[in-house]
Amino acid sequence: MLIIGERINGMFADIREALQKRDPRPVQEWARKQEEGGARALDLNVGPAVEDKIEAMKWLVEATQEVTGLMLCLDSTNFDAIEAGLEVCRNPAMINSTNAERDRIERAFPLAVKYGAKLIGLTMDRKGIPKDADTRLAFAMELVAAADEFGLPMEDLYLDPLILPANVGQDHGPEVLKTLQQIKLLASPPPRTVLGLSNVSQGCQDRSLLNRTFLALAMACGLDAAIADACDPLLTEVAAAAEVLLNQTIYCDSYVKMFRAR
Amino acid sequence: MAVEILKDRNPSRVGEVVLGATREEGGTRAYSLRVGGDPALPFHQFEGETVNRPAVALEVVDTVPEWPEELARCYRDVWQDPAQWAKKCVEEYRADLVYLRLEGADPEKGNRSPEECVATVKQVLAAVGAPLVVVGCGVAEKDNQVMEAIAEAAAGEKLLLGNAEPDNYRTLVAACMVHGHSVIAKSPLDINICKQLNILVTDMNLQSNRIVIDPSIGGLGYGIEYAFSIMERLRLGALQGDRMLAMPVLCTVGQETWRHKEAAAPEAEYPEWGAEAERGVMWEATAAAALLQAGAHILLMRHPRAATLTKALIDELARPTDF
Amino acid sequence: MPLTGLEIYKQLPKTNCKDCGHPTCLAFAMALASGKASLDACPHVSDEARAVLDSAAAPPMAEITVGTGQAAVKLGGETELFRHEKRFYNPAAVAFLISDTLPEAELSARLAAIRDLVFHRVGLEYRVQMAAVKNESGQADPFKRAVAAAAGTGLALMLVTDDPKLMAAGLEAAGQNRPLLYAATETNWEAMLELAKAHPCVLAVKARGLEALAGLAQKITAAGFKDLVLDPQPTSPAQAVADLVQIRRLAVKKRFRPFGYPSLVFAGAEDPAEEALEAALYVTKYAGVVVLKNVSRAHLLPLLTWRQNLYTDPQVPIQVEEKLNEIGTPSEDSPVYVTTNFSLTYYSVQGEVEGSRIPSYILSVNTNGLSVMTAYADGRFTAEKIAQVMKKVDLESKVKHRTIVIPGAVAVLKGKLEELTGWKVLVGPREASGIPAFAKSNFAA
Repeated sequence: MLIIGERINGMFADIREALQKRDPRPVQEWARKQEEGGARALDLNVGPAVEDKIEAMKWLVEATQEVTGLMLCLDSTNFDAIEAGLEVCRNPAMINSTNAERDRIERAFPLAVKYGAKLIGLTMDRKGIPKDADTRLAFAMELVAAADEFGLPMEDLYLDPLILPANVGQDHGPEVLKTLQQIKLLASPPPRTVLGLSNVSQGCQDRSLLNRTFLALAMACGLDAAIADACDPLLTEVAAAAEVLLNQTIYCDSYVKMFRAR
Repeated sequence: MAVEILKDRNPSRVGEVVLGATREEGGTRAYSLRVGGDPALPFHQFEGETVNRPAVALEVVDTVPEWPEELARCYRDVWQDPAQWAKKCVEEYRADLVYLRLEGADPEKGNRSPEECVATVKQVLAAVGAPLVVVGCGVAEKDNQVMEAIAEAAAGEKLLLGNAEPDNYRTLVAACMVHGHSVIAKSPLDINICKQLNILVTDMNLQSNRIVIDPSIGGLGYGIEYAFSIMERLRLGALQGDRMLAMPVLCTVGQETWRHKEAAAPEAEYPEWGAEAERGVMWEATAAAALLQAGAHILLMRHPRAATLTKALIDELARPTDF
Repeated sequence: MPLTGLEIYKQLPKTNCKDCGHPTCLAFAMALASGKASLDACPHVSDEARAVLDSAAAPPMAEITVGTGQAAVKLGGETELFRHEKRFYNPAAVAFLISDTLPEAELSARLAAIRDLVFHRVGLEYRVQMAAVKNESGQADPFKRAVAAAAGTGLALMLVTDDPKLMAAGLEAAGQNRPLLYAATETNWEAMLELAKAHPCVLAVKARGLEALAGLAQKITAAGFKDLVLDPQPTSPAQAVADLVQIRRLAVKKRFRPFGYPSLVFAGAEDPAEEALEAALYVTKYAGVVVLKNVSRAHLLPLLTWRQNLYTDPQVPIQVEEKLNEIGTPSEDSPVYVTTNFSLTYYSVQGEVEGSRIPSYILSVNTNGLSVMTAYADGRFTAEKIAQVMKKVDLESKVKHRTIVIPGAVAVLKGKLEELTGWKVLVGPREASGIPAFAKSNFAA
């Protein structure tokens, strides 16, 4: 399970302020904390408030890679900002994200191939998040065909079937799990899967409980990665235990520690 | 018709361990030996070169062993003297390295002192230029004293010292740390314990490139397939990036072969098994052939002809292929 | 694994005509991959595409039977790359070459030697499977004579010649024994195929290199014949291993139909030891048939033992028989050890008891192949059970003394066992490796 730490995001006040002041300390501190927590990639999102998204993304990449060698997941709807970040990124990189619309696909896939980056593909188009698994899968198929068309290795494509908060779209949970299972039938080697996990508990009580329970359910259905709260120890423990129980890693007594330390 | 050759993309590889140090490297060995480093499944040249060919070790014991005649006739002339024995293994039988077992330290079998054991190791080091593996007698308390003394006396030689076991590893690992040696982490035919032991050893700050796994193989006909599958899983785990499974593997082929009757029982007793002169050699070499394909890096052999056959097999397997 | 959505999509017309009821060919492909649609819904799919898609439903490798009755040998039918994933099914068949130029006496001596290649160890019987008669005379009559003689071994037959006329002669002698014809080549395949169809029997396909082999296999299967065995004609042992691995991988992971058959290789080394080791490499890496020249028991026993070991089911523990085992030549004064019938446990104990050099008995108690601690935890290794087996083997009449050694890990059974049997129970070491020292201090003369 690849945990992508979600905390370096301009939506959080401390990161927004750091971006405005170009003060790397909060960014770097979160990078370290998330890495210690078990994150093996870090999501970088400049957030909605920043004016110059291109310069901000470049700065965020540079500030982060000063303190970590982890994969950086460049998170923006603005592909120019992502490309600017990729240009300066020395760590392994991931693009977050494209949807299944043709014009987005035509920009995102060549970008990923050019920079040797992994790519998150959302199973949706401009009309929004589908209601059922079948429609999600149809978009997933489009993205898989695009990987084949543009020459992105299938293992570098991460499909996100998009989960909604439990108090908003409770009926989406099973559909997402079903989608996760079937995505693995789309290609061989299969594309990978990812979720913006914390979204499942947005605005709900006992968020960590919902997050880690859904993580376990989703892992059993084939989830490979999650953009998540890497500083929630209960969450990473569940991920470590689920890897063992799903026979994805060879058991040893120190399995939790090894999950965080690998 | 076009055939798409399937090549696995492995994100990681087996770790590499260096055995022995030359004068330039701070020891006295004529050469040092690298084991491991494989980027692919064993001998899958088509998806990754065999970086270091598996090494063949021959075993020397510091007491006269009670070995079957077929082995005894190969070593009887030298087995009173570990140094001469080691010399014969290297010079006549072309062993890549020597595995010295200090059986005589056992309180029941001579109870040699740490000083005496150190002297034996020094004699062997002086007699041969090959890198050296040294293991104790298997009695934990005594081994700790003996191996600590040897680690200190042979500082800089980059010996491979064993055996660190789940319930007795700290003293040996610490000695290896301090004096620059590598360690054999031996687990009882159990991949989970194997992994955990590697973690415990690295937790003591011994780097993973100074650990060799001894998974405790079963002999041919006596559970070798368990070891075979454990080794395949170790290699697959290593290639997928599990660093605690990624150490090179040592297989005690000779020890497991010659304790069973198939290797040495007289033809008169088992006429349908064939001549014992060839049978033991083949019992040992066949086990080696199987384990090589599961990912053995160091094959500890006993019969010189089995060793020769195994080396020839390694050369064959490492030859380039068409794709 | 069935075909993926992407693989199916590549076979579709990609016209997005909607005649199948789906908005796009992609959507239809995905529906097919998840089993929600049938290919019949697409009126435009080509015959070639249909063949590819249909064959994906077949198992990755066909199971082929050579020989009939007692001599029948099943080849292939494998589904895995690693035995720990599931298991390997049909052990590599071992075949021995016999030349039709051998004088009568030598021929029958060699055939007798091959026929008698049966081995017994640890309660198992190992056999070889095939006699491979090679036409070296260039003539029909000696070939017929040799084939007829080989048929008398009771082994499955393999007929070796590239000449269809000579093969036809050999087939006359092989009768209805469903032999393996070796082999169809780029130049003779049509005639060989006729023979294989007519009798019917199994046809080996040989071509140097995987592309040539795939091409030839494709032509033969296109002609409607599917009882094949594949020989990639490797130029070295390393190449043989690489070829065997690729054939298996392509069959299992890609459902590559031309390679969905068992494979066959010849061990090339002349020296019997090297030949047997070469064969061990091929047995390890997926060969369906290995052909050897040298008949030497000492070389074959280890090879056949390894083959047996490799093909055991990793999910089923290997067990030894529940009985009183004699180590050395025990007397009525010899010690008696108890352990379980899990083969690894039993053989560890056996090895150490042998190492103690004191003739002894080992009582192997049936725990359904569980080790000592697991069997104890599972309630299969109890004082009652041990007492019952002691009675069953009539231990009282085998030894004069009344002392029995139990594994240290189940020391807790001591009291109950003493109570049930009236015997003195000694608690042995926790690990088998402690037995020699234990024996020395308790039983040394």
